Amino acid sequence: MSEIIKKLPSEIKKNKLKTGVAVVLSAYWGVIIVGTLISLD
Amino acid sequence: MEVFLPIAQVFVNPVEILLLSAIVGVLSGLFGVGGGFLMTPFLIFMGVPPAYAVANEANNILATSVSGSTTHYLKNTLDYKMGFMIVIGGAIGTVLGIYTFTYFKGIGKIDTVISLAYMYILAIIGTLMLVESLGEIDRAKRNLEVKKKLHVHYWIHGLPLRMRFPKSKLYESVFTPILIGLLVGFIAAIMGIGGAFILVPAMIYIIKMPTKLVPGTSLFVTIFVSVIVTFLHSINYGSIDLMLVLMLIVGSIVGVQVGQKIGEQINSSGLKALLAILLLVVGIVIAYDTFFAEQAQKEIVKALNQDLNFFSKFIKEFSEDMPFFYGLFSILFAVFLGISAAFIRRSISRFRKKYFNKTVKQSK
Repeated sequence: MSEIIKKLPSEIKKNKLKTGVAVVLSAYWGVIIVGTLISLD
Repeated sequence: MEVFLPIAQVFVNPVEILLLSAIVGVLSGLFGVGGGFLMTPFLIFMGVPPAYAVANEANNILATSVSGSTTHYLKNTLDYKMGFMIVIGGAIGTVLGIYTFTYFKGIGKIDTVISLAYMYILAIIGTLMLVESLGEIDRAKRNLEVKKKLHVHYWIHGLPLRMRFPKSKLYESVFTPILIGLLVGFIAAIMGIGGAFILVPAMIYIIKMPTKLVPGTSLFVTIFVSVIVTFLHSINYGSIDLMLVLMLIVGSIVGVQVGQKIGEQINSSGLKALLAILLLVVGIVIAYDTFFAEQAQKEIVKALNQDLNFFSKFIKEFSEDMPFFYGLFSILFAVFLGISAAFIRRSISRFRKKYFNKTVKQSK
């Protein structure tokens, strides 16, 4: 686990496209899940 | 130019509907996906109430799947036995879906449920497609080949009552296709989609059918599921609008042919990422509409019978006076258009082969 965390910054630099897609998708899912919870409230 | 839809009671622009339906048809033909999960949200954006968008898109899917299935029937790439097993589950799932639809309609939440269901379905498909296509592009860049595992067994393969499916060369429990059909039928009834995005991967990875039999059998199942969905929506809610259905069918049948032709000439793996992004964008627009936009009260136009033209008046009266026969007519109408499209395509293809062969011979 600690090995993965250590390697993380270099992996992010190496795979900028993958990191970007992962960040955008996380934000996307965050918006729709939070939106659903708010609208159901 | 706007046309009044006598059943949905809204004004729509027929050119916009034809164009959108054709564009969705092109995407369907290009990527081999059903267009329902894109066209229904588009209809909702154009002001068609969600409950009507779902029912009419189901009728449109019936025509396109009849057209596609006829082509596969002519090529003998259909497994009827497996198809009927999935249809049994599909019929049960559709009835359950219509009950659920009725429940949410009863408590006045059906429009929210449809919007939320679309938002999540588009988000899930878009995410999976984007991840898969980026992986494909990445592997192609590095010239990597993925070794696929053979014969992975899930709990579903341990179910009892196994039988032989000679065409697919399988010995499978009858519950496997029935359970898959149940899920597809349930989703189709609530969302007005064919369910190919569940059916096709399930047939390949869970049932393990030969790939060449998958598209035809999937379309064959979709025919029955969409017949039941169209009929139940028609007799329960009188929501099938033949004017809208006609525009949708013409646009999508033409679009699918164009999409298939384009697909034969280009490599679509890069375009898959674009489709995924489109799905995610449509999903976020639905999310914005559902969560953040002020709920604009859609204008429901109550048109008097004398204001309608002859065709609209006929449709309205037919639907109100004889819902059972109107439902049957809607189904036969879609089936007729679908079969006609398949035969026209075959004739054109034969004519082109004949003409092309002649010109090749002459040039020699």
